[in-house]
Amino acid sequence: MTERDPNSTQGRIVMRDANWIRAMAMLAAAMLVSVAGVRAESADEHMPAAPRAREPAVTSTSVQYVVPDVTLVRQDGKSVSLPHEMNDGRPVVLNFIFTTCGSICPLMSQVLGQFQRKLGAESQHVHLMSISIDPEEDTPPRLREYASQFGAGPGWNHYTGTLTASQQAQRAFDVYRGDKMSHTPVTLLRAAPGQPWLRLDGFVTPDQLLMHYRHLTGAR
Amino acid sequence: MKVVLPLRWLRGGALLALAAIVAVPLQAGGAGEAIYRHGILPSGAPLHAAREQGMRLEGEVAACVNCHRRSGLGMIEGHVSIPPVAGSYLFHPRAATGDDLDLPFVAGMRADRDPYTDDTLARAIRQGIGADGRPLDVLMPRYDLDDAQMAALIAYLKELSPGAVPGVTDSVLHFATIFTPDSDPVARQGVLNVLTRFFEDKNHFTRAQSPRLRSSRRLRFKVNRHWELHVWQLEGAPETWDAQLRAFLHAQPVFAVISGLGGRTWEPVHHFCEAEELPCLFPNVDLPVDNERDFDTVYFSKGVLLEAELIAHALRAADAGPGPHRLVQVYRSNDVGAAAAARLRAALGQEEGWHVDDVGLAATGTHAALRSAVAEAHAGDVLVLWLRPADIAALGPVPAGVHAVYMSGRMGGLDDTPLPEAWRASTHMAYPFDMPAHRTVQVDYPLGWFRIRQIPVVAQQVQADTYLACIILSDTLNHMVDTFVRDYLVERIEEMLEHRILTGYYPRLALAPNQSFASKGGYIVHFSPGGGKQVVADGEWITP
Repeated sequence: MTERDPNSTQGRIVMRDANWIRAMAMLAAAMLVSVAGVRAESADEHMPAAPRAREPAVTSTSVQYVVPDVTLVRQDGKSVSLPHEMNDGRPVVLNFIFTTCGSICPLMSQVLGQFQRKLGAESQHVHLMSISIDPEEDTPPRLREYASQFGAGPGWNHYTGTLTASQQAQRAFDVYRGDKMSHTPVTLLRAAPGQPWLRLDGFVTPDQLLMHYRHLTGAR
Repeated sequence: MKVVLPLRWLRGGALLALAAIVAVPLQAGGAGEAIYRHGILPSGAPLHAAREQGMRLEGEVAACVNCHRRSGLGMIEGHVSIPPVAGSYLFHPRAATGDDLDLPFVAGMRADRDPYTDDTLARAIRQGIGADGRPLDVLMPRYDLDDAQMAALIAYLKELSPGAVPGVTDSVLHFATIFTPDSDPVARQGVLNVLTRFFEDKNHFTRAQSPRLRSSRRLRFKVNRHWELHVWQLEGAPETWDAQLRAFLHAQPVFAVISGLGGRTWEPVHHFCEAEELPCLFPNVDLPVDNERDFDTVYFSKGVLLEAELIAHALRAADAGPGPHRLVQVYRSNDVGAAAAARLRAALGQEEGWHVDDVGLAATGTHAALRSAVAEAHAGDVLVLWLRPADIAALGPVPAGVHAVYMSGRMGGLDDTPLPEAWRASTHMAYPFDMPAHRTVQVDYPLGWFRIRQIPVVAQQVQADTYLACIILSDTLNHMVDTFVRDYLVERIEEMLEHRILTGYYPRLALAPNQSFASKGGYIVHFSPGGGKQVVADGEWITP
């Protein structure tokens, strides 16, 4: 419920402060206990840390998803069936993006682009799929423009469609978070139709993605 | 630009002073701003940056603004918190909690970090190492900037620090609403009634009589500010509006422009808000400025331009077989229909087999002229009417054998259009709103609000949109607590709008960076057989 009488929100803010005061009281009570911990933490903060390449936290899980029977619209304007696009025999790498996304999607798309280039000639045999989570804004021409910005090769398709179709696809792969600004970086890989999906949560690097891909398709 | 000076020897103020002399005059708005907002170096060359494993960024996509936003206050995307980079958030002394900071609250702010210095900030931007010596998030690129460019950028970040904002005092938030002289006087009064009453209600419920609560170092309280509305009624020709608006703003600075009503053009107002970097929130206009790169004005929809795209979509989907097909568009040359007709012509121009004839009527053209314009459509043609109710009511006979008729819903009066009975069977209407049956519950809320406050409903959709604009502003300001930064207001609306459940005439509202139109689609409808006002959708919601 977002509709409110103008006065009620005032109450809400005050409530927040009341909570805060309670929290402060509790904090004060817990002071003796927590001091040691805090000190340890801040000491750690001051440790001279040698700059190192940050290892992004990526979790991988193997999951069975049922590909929903929805119709999407590809960047070339053609209406296509999602299962049909996915089950063309090639291994699939799937992610969810939107073209006006400022931070997460550009990095994910850049990783996919780099991954495709690293595959070289083999890239023809891997199907990269990016489905828009903002399909009302992301028309096929916008998807084409976005794809070219990341140097998408022939094996990489972008999809839009109705809001419902996009949300069905997002739900089927458990990436639907209610609105586009709440999305999280997820990359999904599948060696072949019928096989489980490898779900990678977090920012994978192109090399990590390649490693997972090799592992998955090698073990097929 | 080549700076052949031993810049690396210089530090702090000397470097900044030099940068100010050398770099800033090269770019309108400053070299730092060009780097931050557009990814352009003072030489005009694109900004370069790299991420791990050879992933490179260049120019606009590398610009800081993409993540840290124009306000410099950052954002939250999923689990990712993009921290504020406005100077005061980088250089503040270490504090135990956010409440110890004397800074306006933003979600990504960090208290428990050593302050950046110019040197450590340059290291962060070039090498991705934070003030504490730790690597920054993988999202943060490593930038190739020389010392002068870096100094310009850091100087700009310092400028971004929230400070005094025109239109915001300790006790009052000033807003303006803008009416163009050619806006419909009846609807104008309707809009003004809603705005005035909303502001009255807002102020009634703020505890104006109680002692004001103030922010203090230890406790962060929201200060209840009085909302004050200033009506900027423009006069004369559109070319003179800019000067009038500047005079209004000079006489009484405002934090933002809310709602308002346009007529044939909104362009001078749009450009004024863009130039002044003044948020202009959801004006009621049939013809918005369609440039999603612009930042400051957000609209509910693309208006008649959206209608043109909906009609083009319907014509394509109808697949009338191999052409040539002829389309005749009738509009008043001095009204918004002219721009809509141009948009439809452009959309069909990309298609094979469409021949478009435009018939622009003079502003004062008679009904006889209107009827002969309509008669330009022959058997097999498609006729498109970009006309207001007065003209719609005066239409003569339907041209014999005409293939289909489309009309603008926004211009023609939506469900209440006075379209003559003879036309109803063959006419389709562009309808860039939710269907009446679906929006009943949504629109009941403002209608009830109007009824209780005895506000006459004279232009239901426009008044409902005005009420919705006020609610969005009010909700957004509540979420902003006391961080009164104009850019941040627009950014918060962009990020939060999709969460709204009550969206008035629209099935859904959503924005994002580089999106200006909150509702993206519409229906094509026809009239239900058997007369009456009821409209029926031809098909699904279309987002052209």
